[in-house]
Amino acid sequence: MTPKFKAQAGTFESSDIMVLIEPVAEGSGRQVDISSTVMLQFEEDLKVCINQVLDVMEIENVHLIAKDKGALTPTIKARVETAVKRSLGIQEGTL
Amino acid sequence: MGVENTDYREESLDLRNPFDVKLLSQFLCDLGFDYIPEDVDYSMILYNLNDEIIGTGSYKGRVLKYVAVAPKFREGAAFAQIVTHLIDIVIQKHNHIFVYTKPRNLMVFKGLGFTEIATAEPLFSVLEFGYNNIKTYQDYLRSIKRDVNVGGIAAVVVNCNPFTMGHKYLIEKACRENRVVYLFVVEEDRSSFNFTTRWRLIKEELGHIDNLVMVKGGNYVVSGTIFPSYFLKQEKKSDIAACQAELDVITFMRYIVPIFNINRRYVGTEMYSPVTKAYNEAMIKHLPPNGVELIEIPRISSGSKDNYISASKVRQAIREDKLDDVIDFLPTSTRRFLLSEDSAHIRAKIKSKVTRH
Repeated sequence: MTPKFKAQAGTFESSDIMVLIEPVAEGSGRQVDISSTVMLQFEEDLKVCINQVLDVMEIENVHLIAKDKGALTPTIKARVETAVKRSLGIQEGTL
Repeated sequence: MGVENTDYREESLDLRNPFDVKLLSQFLCDLGFDYIPEDVDYSMILYNLNDEIIGTGSYKGRVLKYVAVAPKFREGAAFAQIVTHLIDIVIQKHNHIFVYTKPRNLMVFKGLGFTEIATAEPLFSVLEFGYNNIKTYQDYLRSIKRDVNVGGIAAVVVNCNPFTMGHKYLIEKACRENRVVYLFVVEEDRSSFNFTTRWRLIKEELGHIDNLVMVKGGNYVVSGTIFPSYFLKQEKKSDIAACQAELDVITFMRYIVPIFNINRRYVGTEMYSPVTKAYNEAMIKHLPPNGVELIEIPRISSGSKDNYISASKVRQAIREDKLDDVIDFLPTSTRRFLLSEDSAHIRAKIKSKVTRH
Protein backbone atom coordinates (compact mmCIF):
# COMPACT_ATOMS: atom_id res chain seq x y z
CA MET A 1 0.00 0.00 0.00
CA THR A 2 1.10 3.57 -0.56
CA PRO A 3 0.39 6.42 1.84
CA LYS A 4 -1.97 9.02 0.42
CA PHE A 5 -1.89 11.77 3.05
CA LYS A 6 0.56 13.51 5.31
CA ALA A 7 0.05 12.14 8.78
CA GLN A 8 1.54 12.08 12.21
CA ALA A 9 1.16 10.27 15.51
CA GLY A 10 2.70 10.73 18.90
CA THR A 11 3.92 13.65 20.95
CA PHE A 12 7.17 15.29 21.95
CA GLU A 13 6.86 14.19 25.52
CA SER A 14 9.43 12.10 27.30
CA SER A 15 9.07 8.33 26.70
CA ASP A 16 7.07 8.98 23.56
CA ILE A 17 7.94 9.22 19.90
CA MET A 18 6.64 11.59 17.21
CA VAL A 19 6.17 9.90 13.87
CA LEU A 20 5.58 11.92 10.72
CA ILE A 21 4.72 10.39 7.38
CA GLU A 22 4.90 12.02 3.99
CA PRO A 23 3.64 10.33 0.83
CA VAL A 24 6.25 9.92 -1.89
CA ALA A 25 6.05 8.91 -5.55
CA GLU A 26 5.59 5.24 -6.39
CA GLY A 27 8.95 3.50 -6.70
CA SER A 28 11.00 5.95 -4.68
CA GLY A 29 11.43 3.52 -1.81
CA ARG A 30 11.57 3.96 1.93
CA GLN A 31 13.30 6.87 3.51
CA VAL A 32 13.40 6.71 7.28
CA ASP A 33 14.96 9.64 9.16
CA ILE A 34 15.49 9.01 12.83
CA SER A 35 16.56 11.34 15.57
CA SER A 36 16.53 10.32 19.18
CA THR A 37 17.72 11.39 22.59
CA VAL A 38 19.19 7.89 22.87
CA MET A 39 20.53 7.78 19.33
CA LEU A 40 23.88 6.27 20.30
CA GLN A 41 22.40 3.37 22.22
CA PHE A 42 19.26 2.56 20.25
CA GLU A 43 19.45 3.89 16.71
CA GLU A 44 19.67 0.40 15.20
CA ASP A 45 16.84 -0.95 17.37
CA LEU A 46 14.63 1.96 16.35
CA LYS A 47 15.32 1.36 12.68
CA VAL A 48 14.63 -2.35 12.94
CA CYS A 49 11.44 -1.75 14.89
CA ILE A 50 10.08 0.86 12.47
CA ASN A 51 10.96 -1.23 9.43
CA GLN A 52 9.24 -4.27 10.96
CA VAL A 53 5.99 -2.38 11.22
CA LEU A 54 6.35 -1.04 7.69
CA ASP A 55 7.07 -4.60 6.47
CA VAL A 56 4.00 -5.99 8.17
CA MET A 57 1.82 -3.24 6.73
CA GLU A 58 3.46 -3.64 3.31
CA ILE A 59 4.48 -0.04 2.95
CA GLU A 60 7.26 0.26 0.40
CA ASN A 61 7.21 3.91 -0.66
CA VAL A 62 7.24 6.38 2.16
CA HIS A 63 9.17 9.17 3.81
CA LEU A 64 9.02 8.63 7.55
CA ILE A 65 10.48 10.93 10.18
CA ALA A 66 10.80 9.78 13.75
CA LYS A 67 11.66 12.08 16.67
CA ASP A 68 12.17 9.78 19.59
CA LYS A 69 12.39 10.68 23.26
CA GLY A 70 13.16 7.27 24.63
CA ALA A 71 9.96 5.41 23.72
CA LEU A 72 9.66 1.70 24.48
CA THR A 73 9.18 -0.79 21.67
CA PRO A 74 5.38 -1.20 22.00
CA THR A 75 5.02 2.60 21.95
CA ILE A 76 7.14 2.88 18.83
CA LYS A 77 5.16 0.15 17.09
CA ALA A 78 1.84 1.71 18.03
CA ARG A 79 2.84 5.19 16.92
CA VAL A 80 4.19 4.00 13.59
CA GLU A 81 1.12 1.85 12.97
CA THR A 82 -1.23 4.73 13.74
CA ALA A 83 0.69 7.17 11.59
CA VAL A 84 0.64 4.70 8.69
CA LYS A 85 -3.09 4.07 9.09
CA ARG A 86 -3.78 7.78 9.18
CA SER A 87 -1.72 8.32 6.06
CA LEU A 88 -3.72 5.58 4.33
CA GLY A 89 -6.96 7.10 5.52
CA ILE A 90 -8.04 3.89 7.28
CA GLN A 91 -7.60 4.98 10.89
CA GLU A 92 -10.86 5.60 12.68
CA GLY A 93 -11.27 7.64 15.84
CA THR A 94 -8.54 9.36 17.76
CA LEU A 95 -7.64 6.66 20.26
CA MET B 1 -4.86 14.32 22.25
CA GLY B 2 -6.87 15.18 25.35
CA VAL B 3 -6.91 11.61 26.49
CA GLU B 4 -3.15 11.36 26.71
CA ASN B 5 -2.74 14.51 28.75
CA THR B 6 -5.55 14.61 31.23
CA ASP B 7 -3.57 16.68 33.72
CA TYR B 8 -3.50 19.73 31.51
CA ARG B 9 -6.25 21.24 29.42
CA GLU B 10 -5.50 22.76 26.04
CA GLU B 11 -7.62 25.62 24.86
CA SER B 12 -7.39 27.64 21.70
CA LEU B 13 -7.83 31.36 22.02
CA ASP B 14 -10.41 33.51 20.33
CA LEU B 15 -8.19 36.31 19.09
CA ARG B 16 -11.19 38.57 18.54
CA ASN B 17 -12.16 38.34 22.15
CA PRO B 18 -10.50 41.20 24.07
CA PHE B 19 -10.75 39.30 27.34
CA ASP B 20 -8.78 36.35 25.97
CA VAL B 21 -6.19 38.63 24.46
CA LYS B 22 -5.78 40.54 27.69
CA LEU B 23 -5.39 37.33 29.66
CA LEU B 24 -2.60 36.17 27.40
CA SER B 25 -0.94 39.59 27.16
CA GLN B 26 -0.78 39.73 30.94
CA PHE B 27 0.68 36.25 31.24
CA LEU B 28 3.30 36.91 28.57
CA CYS B 29 4.10 40.36 29.88
CA ASP B 30 5.14 38.85 33.22
CA LEU B 31 7.54 36.62 31.32
CA GLY B 32 9.01 39.51 29.36
CA PHE B 33 7.17 39.09 26.08
CA ASP B 34 5.32 41.81 24.28
CA TYR B 35 2.30 40.01 22.85
CA ILE B 36 0.87 41.46 19.65
CA PRO B 37 -2.31 39.63 18.56
CA GLU B 38 -1.90 40.87 14.97
CA ASP B 39 1.40 39.06 14.90
CA VAL B 40 -0.11 35.57 15.15
CA ASP B 41 -2.58 33.38 13.28
CA TYR B 42 -3.42 31.24 16.26
CA SER B 43 -2.77 31.07 19.99
CA MET B 44 -3.38 28.39 22.56
CA ILE B 45 -3.25 28.30 26.33
CA LEU B 46 -2.50 25.36 28.56
CA TYR B 47 -4.34 25.23 31.90
CA ASN B 48 -4.05 22.83 34.78
CA LEU B 49 -7.06 21.52 36.64
CA ASN B 50 -7.07 24.53 38.97
CA ASP B 51 -7.44 26.77 35.92
CA GLU B 52 -3.99 28.25 36.34
CA ILE B 53 -2.21 29.13 33.16
CA ILE B 54 0.69 26.77 32.69
CA GLY B 55 1.94 28.00 29.37
CA THR B 56 1.09 29.23 25.92
CA GLY B 57 2.12 29.01 22.31
CA SER B 58 1.24 30.67 18.99
CA TYR B 59 2.13 30.49 15.36
CA LYS B 60 2.06 32.71 12.32
CA GLY B 61 2.35 30.93 9.00
CA ARG B 62 4.99 28.34 9.61
CA VAL B 63 6.82 30.10 12.40
CA LEU B 64 6.18 29.17 16.00
CA LYS B 65 6.02 32.18 18.29
CA TYR B 66 5.54 33.14 21.91
CA VAL B 67 6.12 29.65 23.22
CA ALA B 68 6.43 30.11 26.96
CA VAL B 69 5.85 28.19 30.16
CA ALA B 70 5.37 29.68 33.62
CA PRO B 71 8.54 29.24 35.70
CA LYS B 72 7.07 26.94 38.35
CA PHE B 73 5.83 24.45 35.75
CA ARG B 74 9.00 24.21 33.75
CA GLU B 75 10.03 20.87 35.21
CA GLY B 76 7.15 19.04 33.59
CA ALA B 77 6.05 18.12 30.11
CA ALA B 78 4.10 21.32 29.50
CA PHE B 79 6.53 22.68 26.93
CA ALA B 80 6.46 19.47 24.91
CA GLN B 81 2.69 19.43 25.04
CA ILE B 82 2.40 22.98 23.73
CA VAL B 83 4.79 22.35 20.87
CA THR B 84 3.03 19.08 20.01
CA HIS B 85 -0.31 20.89 19.91
CA LEU B 86 1.03 23.60 17.60
CA ILE B 87 2.88 21.25 15.29
CA ASP B 88 -0.21 19.06 14.92
CA ILE B 89 -1.90 22.04 13.31
CA VAL B 90 0.95 23.68 11.42
CA ILE B 91 2.24 20.49 9.80
CA GLN B 92 -1.11 20.07 8.02
CA LYS B 93 -0.44 23.18 5.99
CA HIS B 94 3.33 23.44 5.85
CA ASN B 95 6.03 20.88 5.28
CA HIS B 96 8.49 22.92 7.13
CA ILE B 97 8.34 24.69 10.48
CA PHE B 98 10.71 27.28 11.91
CA VAL B 99 11.44 28.55 15.37
CA TYR B 100 13.46 31.60 16.31
CA THR B 101 14.65 31.62 19.85
CA LYS B 102 17.39 32.84 22.12
CA PRO B 103 20.55 30.74 22.04
CA ARG B 104 20.05 29.73 25.66
CA ASN B 105 16.78 27.98 24.71
CA LEU B 106 18.46 26.08 21.90
CA MET B 107 18.75 22.85 23.87
CA VAL B 108 15.06 22.86 24.79
CA PHE B 109 13.98 22.80 21.15
CA LYS B 110 16.77 20.45 20.11
CA GLY B 111 15.49 18.04 22.72
CA LEU B 112 12.16 17.98 20.87
CA GLY B 113 13.78 17.01 17.61
CA PHE B 114 14.26 20.44 16.08
CA THR B 115 17.46 20.94 14.12
CA GLU B 116 19.62 24.01 14.51
CA ILE B 117 20.38 25.87 11.32
CA ALA B 118 22.43 28.75 12.63
CA THR B 119 23.08 30.89 15.68
CA ALA B 120 24.00 34.55 15.86
CA GLU B 121 25.28 35.19 19.37
CA PRO B 122 23.96 36.57 21.61
CA LEU B 123 20.46 37.21 20.28
CA PHE B 124 19.13 34.51 17.99
CA SER B 125 19.09 30.93 16.92
CA VAL B 126 17.02 29.46 14.10
CA LEU B 127 15.77 25.92 14.20
CA GLU B 128 13.70 23.91 11.77
CA PHE B 129 11.45 20.90 11.83
CA GLY B 130 9.46 18.98 9.27
CA TYR B 131 9.49 16.87 6.14
CA ASN B 132 11.87 19.18 4.33
CA ASN B 133 15.07 20.34 5.86
CA ILE B 134 18.30 21.96 4.90
CA LYS B 135 19.47 18.63 3.46
CA THR B 136 16.56 18.61 1.01
CA TYR B 137 17.67 22.05 -0.15
CA GLN B 138 21.28 20.89 -0.41
CA ASP B 139 20.14 17.95 -2.56
CA TYR B 140 18.41 20.45 -4.83
CA LEU B 141 21.63 22.47 -5.04
CA ARG B 142 23.63 19.35 -5.91
CA SER B 143 21.14 18.51 -8.65
CA ILE B 144 21.77 21.81 -10.46
CA LYS B 145 25.47 22.11 -9.73
CA ARG B 146 27.85 22.69 -12.65
CA ASP B 147 30.88 20.47 -12.67
CA VAL B 148 33.37 23.26 -12.05
CA ASN B 149 35.42 23.25 -8.89
CA VAL B 150 38.34 25.54 -9.63
CA GLY B 151 38.63 29.06 -10.94
CA GLY B 152 36.21 31.87 -10.26
CA ILE B 153 32.92 30.52 -8.89
CA ALA B 154 30.70 33.38 -7.88
CA ALA B 155 27.40 33.83 -6.10
CA VAL B 156 24.98 36.70 -6.53
CA VAL B 157 21.86 37.01 -4.39
CA VAL B 158 19.03 39.11 -5.73
CA ASN B 159 15.44 39.84 -4.91
CA CYS B 160 14.79 41.82 -8.10
CA ASN B 161 11.64 43.56 -7.02
CA PRO B 162 11.49 44.33 -9.93
CA PHE B 163 14.42 43.37 -12.13
CA THR B 164 16.36 46.50 -13.25
CA MET B 165 19.33 47.44 -15.41
CA GLY B 166 21.33 47.64 -12.18
CA HIS B 167 20.78 43.93 -11.47
CA LYS B 168 21.46 43.10 -15.08
CA TYR B 169 24.75 45.00 -15.04
CA LEU B 170 25.90 43.33 -11.82
CA ILE B 171 25.05 39.82 -13.02
CA GLU B 172 26.55 40.26 -16.47
CA LYS B 173 29.72 41.67 -14.97
CA ALA B 174 29.99 38.67 -12.63
CA CYS B 175 29.45 36.33 -15.59
CA ARG B 176 32.29 37.91 -17.55
CA GLU B 177 34.70 37.66 -14.63
CA ASN B 178 33.96 34.11 -13.50
CA ARG B 179 33.71 30.58 -14.81
CA VAL B 180 30.33 29.98 -13.23
CA VAL B 181 27.88 32.31 -11.55
CA TYR B 182 25.14 31.00 -9.28
CA LEU B 183 22.31 33.49 -9.17
CA PHE B 184 20.14 33.03 -6.07
CA VAL B 185 16.69 34.50 -6.42
CA VAL B 186 14.98 35.17 -3.10
CA GLU B 187 11.96 32.90 -3.07
CA GLU B 188 9.95 34.34 -0.26
CA ASP B 189 6.85 36.12 -1.51
CA ARG B 190 6.95 39.20 0.66
CA SER B 191 7.73 41.47 -2.24
CA SER B 192 5.33 43.34 -4.51
CA PHE B 193 6.45 41.22 -7.43
CA ASN B 194 5.90 37.54 -6.73
CA PHE B 195 8.59 34.94 -7.11
CA THR B 196 7.32 33.44 -10.36
CA THR B 197 7.25 36.85 -12.02
CA ARG B 198 10.65 37.90 -10.75
CA TRP B 199 12.16 34.56 -11.85
CA ARG B 200 10.58 34.79 -15.31
CA LEU B 201 11.71 38.36 -15.97
CA ILE B 202 15.30 37.50 -15.09
CA LYS B 203 15.19 34.32 -17.14
CA GLU B 204 13.86 36.11 -20.24
CA GLU B 205 16.63 38.65 -20.09
CA LEU B 206 19.60 36.55 -19.00
CA GLY B 207 18.63 32.95 -19.73
CA HIS B 208 20.94 32.84 -22.74
CA ILE B 209 24.14 33.31 -20.70
CA ASP B 210 25.99 30.00 -20.64
CA ASN B 211 27.78 30.19 -17.33
CA LEU B 212 24.84 31.54 -15.35
CA VAL B 213 22.91 29.11 -13.17
CA MET B 214 19.67 30.34 -11.63
CA VAL B 215 19.01 28.99 -8.15
CA LYS B 216 15.83 29.17 -6.10
CA GLY B 217 16.57 30.77 -2.76
CA GLY B 218 14.35 28.31 -0.88
CA ASN B 219 13.88 29.03 2.78
CA TYR B 220 17.48 29.70 3.46
CA VAL B 221 18.54 32.63 1.35
CA VAL B 222 17.41 35.89 2.91
CA SER B 223 14.42 34.53 4.68
CA GLY B 224 14.83 37.30 7.21
CA THR B 225 11.43 38.73 6.40
CA ILE B 226 9.77 36.12 8.58
CA PHE B 227 12.03 37.14 11.37
CA PRO B 228 10.25 38.15 14.55
CA SER B 229 11.64 40.95 16.63
CA TYR B 230 8.92 40.69 19.23
CA PHE B 231 10.88 39.16 22.05
CA LEU B 232 13.64 41.69 21.81
CA LYS B 233 11.88 44.85 22.83
CA GLN B 234 14.84 45.97 24.90
CA GLU B 235 17.31 45.60 22.04
CA LYS B 236 18.02 48.23 19.46
CA LYS B 237 16.47 47.74 16.05
CA SER B 238 19.87 48.03 14.41
CA ASP B 239 21.26 45.21 16.58
CA ILE B 240 18.38 42.99 15.52
CA ALA B 241 18.98 43.74 11.86
CA ALA B 242 22.65 42.98 12.29
CA CYS B 243 22.01 39.64 13.97
CA GLN B 244 19.42 38.70 11.40
CA ALA B 245 21.89 39.45 8.63
CA GLU B 246 24.48 37.41 10.44
CA LEU B 247 22.16 34.40 10.57
CA ASP B 248 21.63 34.61 6.83
CA VAL B 249 25.32 34.90 6.12
CA ILE B 250 26.24 32.03 8.44
CA THR B 251 23.64 29.83 6.77
CA PHE B 252 25.01 30.76 3.36
CA MET B 253 28.57 30.06 4.50
CA ARG B 254 27.86 26.79 6.19
CA TYR B 255 25.41 25.09 3.85
CA ILE B 256 25.62 26.64 0.40
CA VAL B 257 29.25 27.65 -0.16
CA PRO B 258 30.71 24.15 0.35
CA ILE B 259 28.38 22.58 -2.19
CA PHE B 260 29.14 24.93 -5.05
CA ASN B 261 32.71 25.71 -3.92
CA ILE B 262 31.85 29.38 -4.17
CA ASN B 263 34.85 31.65 -3.80
CA ARG B 264 33.40 35.04 -4.65
CA ARG B 265 30.27 36.90 -3.79
CA TYR B 266 29.12 39.98 -5.67
CA VAL B 267 27.03 42.66 -4.05
CA GLY B 268 25.84 46.09 -5.07
CA THR B 269 26.87 49.07 -2.94
CA GLU B 270 24.01 49.97 -0.67
CA MET B 271 22.96 53.59 -0.59
CA TYR B 272 19.76 53.85 1.31
CA SER B 273 18.65 50.78 3.22
CA PRO B 274 20.04 50.25 6.73
CA VAL B 275 18.94 46.62 6.58
CA THR B 276 20.91 45.86 3.46
CA LYS B 277 23.79 47.83 4.89
CA ALA B 278 23.80 45.61 7.97
CA TYR B 279 23.70 42.62 5.65
CA ASN B 280 26.76 43.82 3.76
CA GLU B 281 28.59 44.42 7.04
CA ALA B 282 27.83 40.88 8.18
CA MET B 283 29.28 39.61 4.91
CA ILE B 284 32.47 41.60 5.41
CA LYS B 285 32.78 40.02 8.83
CA HIS B 286 32.15 36.41 7.83
CA LEU B 287 32.96 35.81 4.17
CA PRO B 288 36.60 36.83 3.60
CA PRO B 289 37.95 34.89 6.64
CA ASN B 290 36.29 31.78 5.23
CA GLY B 291 37.77 32.05 1.78
CA VAL B 292 35.01 33.86 -0.05
CA GLU B 293 36.10 37.09 -1.63
CA LEU B 294 33.52 39.84 -1.34
CA ILE B 295 33.29 42.06 -4.38
CA GLU B 296 31.31 45.24 -4.02
CA ILE B 297 30.13 46.77 -7.27
CA PRO B 298 29.19 50.45 -7.25
CA ARG B 299 25.68 51.04 -8.50
CA ILE B 300 25.34 52.26 -12.02
CA SER B 301 23.35 55.36 -12.75
CA SER B 302 21.21 56.45 -15.62
CA GLY B 303 21.89 59.84 -17.21
CA SER B 304 23.27 62.09 -14.48
CA LYS B 305 25.70 60.71 -11.93
CA ASP B 306 23.52 60.72 -8.83
CA ASN B 307 20.52 59.27 -10.60
CA TYR B 308 21.48 55.75 -9.56
CA ILE B 309 19.29 52.83 -10.50
CA SER B 310 17.33 51.13 -7.76
CA ALA B 311 14.31 48.86 -7.64
CA SER B 312 12.73 50.91 -4.89
CA LYS B 313 12.78 53.97 -7.15
CA VAL B 314 10.95 51.93 -9.75
CA ARG B 315 8.30 50.94 -7.23
CA GLN B 316 8.04 54.55 -6.12
CA ALA B 317 7.50 55.60 -9.73
CA ILE B 318 4.79 52.97 -10.19
CA ARG B 319 3.09 54.25 -7.06
CA GLU B 320 3.09 57.77 -8.44
CA ASP B 321 2.15 56.73 -11.97
CA LYS B 322 5.39 58.12 -13.36
CA LEU B 323 6.74 55.01 -15.00
CA ASP B 324 8.18 57.07 -17.84
CA ASP B 325 10.72 58.67 -15.49
CA VAL B 326 12.37 55.35 -14.76
CA ILE B 327 11.85 53.59 -18.06
CA ASP B 328 15.60 53.74 -18.73
CA PHE B 329 16.18 51.75 -15.54
CA LEU B 330 14.39 48.74 -16.91
CA PRO B 331 15.62 45.91 -19.12
CA THR B 332 13.38 44.83 -21.98
CA SER B 333 11.65 42.01 -20.10
CA THR B 334 10.58 44.17 -17.14
CA ARG B 335 9.66 47.09 -19.36
CA ARG B 336 7.43 44.94 -21.51
CA PHE B 337 5.84 43.35 -18.47
CA LEU B 338 5.14 46.65 -16.72
CA LEU B 339 3.61 48.19 -19.80
CA SER B 340 1.38 45.19 -20.40
CA GLU B 341 -1.96 44.31 -18.85
CA ASP B 342 -0.40 41.30 -17.07
CA SER B 343 1.13 43.58 -14.48
CA ALA B 344 -2.08 45.48 -13.72
CA HIS B 345 -2.74 43.72 -10.41
CA ILE B 346 0.86 44.16 -9.25
CA ARG B 347 0.78 47.86 -10.07
CA ALA B 348 -2.50 48.20 -8.24
CA LYS B 349 -1.01 46.39 -5.25
CA ILE B 350 2.00 48.70 -5.11
CA LYS B 351 -0.20 51.76 -5.26
CA SER B 352 -2.43 50.55 -2.49
CA LYS B 353 0.25 50.21 0.16
CA VAL B 354 3.14 52.25 1.40
CA THR B 355 5.78 49.81 2.53
CA ARG B 356 9.39 49.51 1.71
CA HIS B 357 8.89 46.29 -0.26
